[in-house]
Amino acid sequence: MLDGSGVAATAGAYLARPGRCHLQGNAGRGTAVGVPMIEVREVSRLYHRGVDLVHALERVSLGIPAGRFVALMGPSGSGKSTLLNLLAGLDRPDSGEVVVAGTRLSRLSEDELAAWRARHVGLVFQFFNLLPVLSAVENVELPLLLTKLPRADRRRRAETALSVVGLAARIHHRPAQLSGGEQQRVAIARAIVTDPDLIVADEPTGDLDAKSAVEVLTLLRELNRAFEKTVVMVTHDPRAERFVDTVIRLDKGVLANGGAPAGQSA
Amino acid sequence: MSYTRLVWRNLFRHPLRTLFTTLSIALSIFLVCAVLTLPAAMERIIARVGSSVRISVHHEAGLTYWLPFSYVHKVRAIPGVAAVNHFSWFGGIYDEPKNQFPNFGLDPDHVLAVWPDYKIDPRELARFKRIRNACLVGGATMRKFGWQVGQEITLRGTIFPVNLTLLIVGTIPEGAGNPLVLWFNREYLEEAMESQGGLRGVGMIWVRADAPEHVEGIMHEVNELFRNSEAQVTAETEKSFFMGFFGSFRTFMRLIMAVGVLVVGAVVLIAANTSAMGIRERIPEIAILKSLGFGRRPILLALLAESGTVALVGGLVGAGTAWGLFSALSRAGKTGYSQLLGPLGQFQMSSTVFAEGVSVALVVGLIAGFVPAWNGARLGVVEALRRLF
Repeated sequence: MLDGSGVAATAGAYLARPGRCHLQGNAGRGTAVGVPMIEVREVSRLYHRGVDLVHALERVSLGIPAGRFVALMGPSGSGKSTLLNLLAGLDRPDSGEVVVAGTRLSRLSEDELAAWRARHVGLVFQFFNLLPVLSAVENVELPLLLTKLPRADRRRRAETALSVVGLAARIHHRPAQLSGGEQQRVAIARAIVTDPDLIVADEPTGDLDAKSAVEVLTLLRELNRAFEKTVVMVTHDPRAERFVDTVIRLDKGVLANGGAPAGQSA
Repeated sequence: MSYTRLVWRNLFRHPLRTLFTTLSIALSIFLVCAVLTLPAAMERIIARVGSSVRISVHHEAGLTYWLPFSYVHKVRAIPGVAAVNHFSWFGGIYDEPKNQFPNFGLDPDHVLAVWPDYKIDPRELARFKRIRNACLVGGATMRKFGWQVGQEITLRGTIFPVNLTLLIVGTIPEGAGNPLVLWFNREYLEEAMESQGGLRGVGMIWVRADAPEHVEGIMHEVNELFRNSEAQVTAETEKSFFMGFFGSFRTFMRLIMAVGVLVVGAVVLIAANTSAMGIRERIPEIAILKSLGFGRRPILLALLAESGTVALVGGLVGAGTAWGLFSALSRAGKTGYSQLLGPLGQFQMSSTVFAEGVSVALVVGLIAGFVPAWNGARLGVVEALRRLF
C-alpha cells in the first residue's frame, strides 16, 4: 500500500542527493505555483462521424495554474479526453489556442510537438500501455532514449522513478508479471522520469480495483505535492474529487459552469 | 535500455514467427546463391574437359552430318598439327533401348597423341591397340552397367545395321573428358560394315596443335581448306565445342535464374506480409511511443531495423549454408568422392556470390519492411490512440 509519506520520503531522499537534475518540481524551473501553467483560449474541436459533424469542444477557455492537481469530469462524450489530448499536444484544435508553460502548441510542427511532448509532458493512460516485451525499468527508461543522457544515467533515473512509485523491488518484472495497480504505477514512473512540467492522465483508475485506484490517486497527489507537478486527470471516478485541487466539469463540449474552473475541492 | 535492445526484444516477441521468417529468407538466399554459382560451375566443367590445344572439326551443318575420311589425312598435313584422331558415332545401345550412351569408333594408334592429358594406363592402351574388338570405357558408364575390365559386352547398332561385341580392356580415367563415353577401334566397325556397303565417313575430327599459339592458325587453315568443298567444316576449340554443346543447357540455366528471381520476389511478399502483420499488431504500441514523444524517424528506423535484422540473419544463414555446402562438395570433389559427386564437385561459391546473397537478403528485408514501417511511423497520434481505446 502506498501512502503519501512513502513517496515523500523517497522523493525527499532523492531531492537531497547532490547533483540532482530532475524530478525537481516546476518551481525549480522558474514556474511559480499559482502562475497559469496552461491557458486554453476559445478552443473548438470538431470531428466527422460519418456524415455528421460533431463539436467535441466548442469555444472552451480556461486556465490552470502551475502545481495544481485538476480533474476533468463529465459524462461520456462531453469532450474531456479531447481537451486532455489538446493540453498534451497530442491533437490540434480547429480554432483557438493552447498555451502550455509559455509555448503556443499550434505553432509547433509535428516533429517539434513530439519533441515538446517528450520534454514537457508525462502521459498516463487507462490501460497502462506498457510495452510487454520490456521489463518495468526498461519501460520507464523508454522516454529517456530521446535524451542525450548516457546509458548508465538513464538506468539510474528509471530506477529512481520506480522507487518513487514504490516499485524498487520489481524493476525487472515484465508487465504481465505485475498487477494492474503495479502496471499503472510503472506507467506513472514512466510519465515522471523525464521530469515533465505537466502530467496528464486519462482515466488512470478506470481499469483498476478500488484499492489500486486509491493507491494511484494517492500517488498522483503525492507527486503533485512533493514535486509540485501540474497534474490534469480525466476521470469518471467520484473518489478522485477527494484528491484533486480543482474539478473542471464539461458537458457537450462546453464547460459546465460557464467557463471558470469550478468545484474547488480537496 | 537502448534502441538496439528495443529492436532485439521486439524480434523475440513472437519467436516462432521470427524463426520461420528468417528460415524462409535463408532458404531463398541459399537457392539464390546456388543459382548464381551455376554459371561459374558450368565454366569450370567446360574448362576441365576442354583443352587449350585441342580442336574439333565437324560438318558445318551440324554433328549429325558426316565428313569424308580423306579429310583426316588432309588435316594431318597442316603445319602446326601435332596429332589427329576421329570420332564415328556408333549409337549402340546396351541390352535395352533405354541404355543409351555415347560410343565412338576411333583410331587407337592416335589416342595418346591427341589426348595425352587423359592419362590412360599405358598397359590398357597397349591392349586397346592390340585387340581388334577392344574398348575403353568411361567410369560413369562402367558403374552404371556394373561392367568389369575383361568383360565382353554387345552393343546393338541403331544407326548401323550391325551389332558389335566388344572386350573391355580398360577405363578412361575419372576427370578426363566425358565419363560416359566408350571408345572402340573404328576398323572393327568398318569390318562389320563390309557386307553392308562399308563405312566411308567420319563424324568429326579431333586435332591437337603442337602449341596453343598455333590453334587459331590451324582453325583458319582447316576452314579455308574445305571451303566450297562437298562438306564444308567448322573448326573450333574444344572449349568452344563443349560450350556450343551445352547451349541448350544455358537456356535451362537462364530459366533457373528466372526462377531464382521469382523466388526472391515471393520471399519479398512473404516477408512484407509478416512485417505488415507485426506492425499492424503493434499500432497501439506505436501510438504510445508517439505520445511519449518519439518522432517518425526513430520509429521508422526501429521498425526497419527489425525487418532488416531478420533479413540480414536469414541472408547470412542462407549464404553461409550455401558457402559451407559448396566448399565441402568442392573439397570432396578433389578427393575420392569425385566419382560419386559428378558435376556437383565443380560447385564453388565465390565471396562475390556470398556478398550478393547477403545484399539481396538485406534489400528484401528493407523493401518488405519499408511500406508497413512508413505507414506505422506516419500514423497520427490521436488516430493511433483511438485504435488503442
